[in-house]
This record gives sequence, structure tokens and C-alpha cells, in this order.
Amino acid sequence: MQEVQVIGVGLHAFGKTGDKVVGNKSVTELCRTAVDAALKDAGVSWRDIQAVSAASSRFSGGKGWGLNGNDVVEEMGSTGVPVYNLSAGCAAGGNAFNIGYTLVASGQHDIVLVVGGEVMPKGFIQTSGVEEVTDPEFLRQRCVGMPGPSFWSLLARRRMFEYGTTEEQFAKVAVKARKCSVHNPYARFQSEITVEDVLKSPYVSDPLRLFEICPVSNGAAAVVLCSKERAKKFSGKAVTVAASTVATMQFDDGLPRGLASVIPSGATLHSEAKGAVTKAFERAGVGPRDVSLTELQDNTVYYELAFPEEWELCKPGEAESLVEKGETLPTGKMPINPSGGFVSFGEATTAMGVFQVCELTWQLRGESGGRQVPNAKIGLGQTLGLGGNATAVILKK
Amino acid sequence: MERVPAVEGLFSEKDGKAELIGSRCTTCKTAYFPKAAICHNPKCDKSEIEEHRFGGRGKLWSYSVQNFPPPPPHKFDAPYKIYALGVVDLADSGLRLMGQMQVENFDEIKIGGTVELVVDALYHENDKEFTSWKFKPVA
Repeated sequence: MQEVQVIGVGLHAFGKTGDKVVGNKSVTELCRTAVDAALKDAGVSWRDIQAVSAASSRFSGGKGWGLNGNDVVEEMGSTGVPVYNLSAGCAAGGNAFNIGYTLVASGQHDIVLVVGGEVMPKGFIQTSGVEEVTDPEFLRQRCVGMPGPSFWSLLARRRMFEYGTTEEQFAKVAVKARKCSVHNPYARFQSEITVEDVLKSPYVSDPLRLFEICPVSNGAAAVVLCSKERAKKFSGKAVTVAASTVATMQFDDGLPRGLASVIPSGATLHSEAKGAVTKAFERAGVGPRDVSLTELQDNTVYYELAFPEEWELCKPGEAESLVEKGETLPTGKMPINPSGGFVSFGEATTAMGVFQVCELTWQLRGESGGRQVPNAKIGLGQTLGLGGNATAVILKK
Repeated sequence: MERVPAVEGLFSEKDGKAELIGSRCTTCKTAYFPKAAICHNPKCDKSEIEEHRFGGRGKLWSYSVQNFPPPPPHKFDAPYKIYALGVVDLADSGLRLMGQMQVENFDEIKIGGTVELVVDALYHENDKEFTSWKFKPVA
């Protein structure tokens, strides 16, 4: 295995179809901007890229087959490089990163591009549209009617029951996220909000409100990975990939998936995320308390409270008080999502795992301006996707 | 009006008694809904599946409220009426089950409270009433 470094990162700012930021740009145009930025940042040319690992989208581009990496290669200029298209729901960007990392770590390639981009349809994410009684997602939506936010609010409500979490405390997580977003020119929402603003926003699924749930967004992210040996010739601002992991769910974790699951024996619900993060800590040789900052998948504010506890960044039931004391801000002792997170960006589903690597890289380089985590040395990223998919990444200075 | 299940073969309604049609592995006791043809428990050495009916009472693990009309393929009667849905643990069988709540008032819903499995109308279409299983709090 050879050491892998991130030598260049790039984003296309996130927005909503028709707005000033993304307008009516296609997913390929969004990806092109992110890829050009990442190549420039790395100081490499498109012709230097030896392989492409891309997140597959079911919403946009990819010729209807999730061939989003092939779209990018055609757009940049077909050079004959191998292309890998990875599908893992909202974890696809993380999966694409893992394969890109593995291609370099194994010594098969020295310079690999990882990319994810999305133009999302409006509104709630829907099922495939095929009314097939053997599809558990179809059954769940027809017989029960549980879109994503309703699923998240089940978990949030359970947390209120277990730890006495209040609606004000959920609101404070959103306030913190937007406080960070003010300093992020790539975020879709870049203005501060107050607890009152959040509590005045309508319930999407009681107890979770509009400002506490990520909308869908359009955006793209790209990363250039390089072997340590070759990286010496390029940018000089490389950060090291200490670990990149993928995991899927455990059979008996009890997370309400499909129509039914089994009553679990343990406490961890998101076994796929816990599996990926734990493995990443082991491989990187660091512990949860060594992490300088975390970029986690906050589809809703609930996850900023639950995930740090499930991964032992803090104690069970402690997250609310850490938020209230400002400890999850970039300047706190457990910084979470200094980028502003999904709550400020919205979710361009398959771009997100790559987007997190961009933020971690900027943080470790000390280039994050007003949202900079002081003296950031180790960064953790994590995604979670339909089907029980999860990924984790640990970058270090 | 004719009462028809929203999806055939998932539940039955006999003499007002609601039952879900699932299965169970007799080796490791894992319960499945809908039916599984083979046991999916990776710790189970020998898959022995038999049909199993679930019903009666369970304990509410958590619930949420659907404040906006959900997208297809869910179907509902117009005008949209906000509903709650619950996750219920059936301790006897080890099944954790999703379903809508049958309540007049959301204040009736209590985590940890006992609920009963019922069959209730989900929507009406072509002069038929389409039904699904739901959970009704037991006072």
C-alpha cells in the first residue's frame, strides 16, 4: 500500500434550480466547474488524470444508467482512462472517494479524480415510481407513507423521549449551522438565523421544522488524489488520507427500515455509520477524542446530536449541552460541520461525500477563513445512504 | 362500500381482528414482515421459515407527524389530513413494525404506551375503500 494524499479540491457552489447560483445548469456543467477547480488547485492537467471514480446519480445525467463518471470524461475530453461509477444512495460520494483512494493506495494509479454532482428534482425525494410489491420502499410509502423527513423525526422524537431534548435545542443546532455558513461562499444559505426564526418555520414533520431539515440542492464536488511520491511534484499543500472506509448495516441494529425490522439488543441504531467510522479510527490509529473537526451527514439537526455520541466523540446525552455551550462551533472543543453542513448547503445527494473531503482539506490547510477550526490537524468525514450504506474518511495534516 | 387492502397479501381482517401475514424462522426465532422466503439473520445456521401471523398489542417505540402531503406512491383522500405514524415493538415476536396511527387527537400518542393493531381506511378510489394496518392507542 502506498500513502495517498489529497492534492486538489473544488466545488461548484450549491443552489436551487433557477436561482442565480446554479440557474439551469446541467449536472455536467456543475461537475466541470468543480473538476476544473480541483485540477487547478492541484496544479495538474486533465491529461495527468489516470482514472476517474464517480458517484452515480439516479436523478441527473449518467445517460439514465448512473454513468456520471463517463459524462465527466466526455466533457473534459475522452482520454481512454478507466471510469468507475459507484452507487450507494446518499453515500455514493463517499463510496467513489473510497474507490479512488483504493486505486492509488494499491499502486494501480498515481493520480485519480473523484467527482460527484447533482441536479435534484423538486420536493421530497421519491421512490423509483415502479409499483412493485416486492420492493420494500414501495410498500413503505404506499401502506404507511413515510418520506425521509418523517423517518428523521421518528428518531428525533425518540431522542426527546430518551434524553429530554427540547425543540429549542434542536433549533440551536440549526442556528449554529447557519452561523458557520455565513463564512462559506459555496453554501446555498449564507445568512444567520435565530432560535425564534427556526421555531417560527413550519413543521415538515413534527418535531422537525423547515430550517432543521436539509432541502435538496444542485451542486458538485471534485477531489484529486495522488500518491505521496508523485505529490511532491505538485501543489505542495497536500493533506494525507489516513483512512477511507465503507461499511453496510448490521442485521439487528433496529433502525426502522422497510416495513419492519427486529427489536435490537444494543443501543446503536446507525450500525453502518458506526461500522465505517470505527474502522476508520482503527486504520488511522486515532481515537474519537483526537479529531479536530467532523463533517457528518446532517440531513437534519438530529444527526449532529446523535452521531457524535454513537461514535464516542462525546458521552451519550451530552451533545445538547455541548451545542448550548458553543462547543460544536469551529472554535469549540468538538467542532461539527464548520462548513455549515447539509442544513446550510442542502443535499446534492451524490456530491456530499466528496464535498466533505473538500471542506476537511481546506480546514487542514488553514484556508477556511471565518469558519476555520484553529490548529486543525485531523478531520473526520462521514456519509449515510439508503440500503444501509455508509462511508468514513479521516484526513490528517 | 367494498373494503380492499391497499396491497394484497400483507394482512387480513377477520371478525374485526387485524393480523399481519409474515413469517418466522423456527431456528433463530427471527420474525419477518412482509414474509421472507429465507432467514436473513447472518448468525442463524439453518433457515427454517414458516408463515406467522402478527397481531394484538405492542409498545410504541417512537412516532412522527406527517405535516405535509407525502409524495406518490402514497395515496390519501382529499383534502389532505395530517396523520401520525408510529414504530411499534411487538415484544413477543421480536418484530419492530412501522405503520400509521389511528387517533383522533395526537395527544393520545405516548412513547412507551400500548397500542393495538387494527385495519383502517387509507384512501378511497373507484368506489372502493383501500385499507392498511394501523396502530390504535389503548387507553
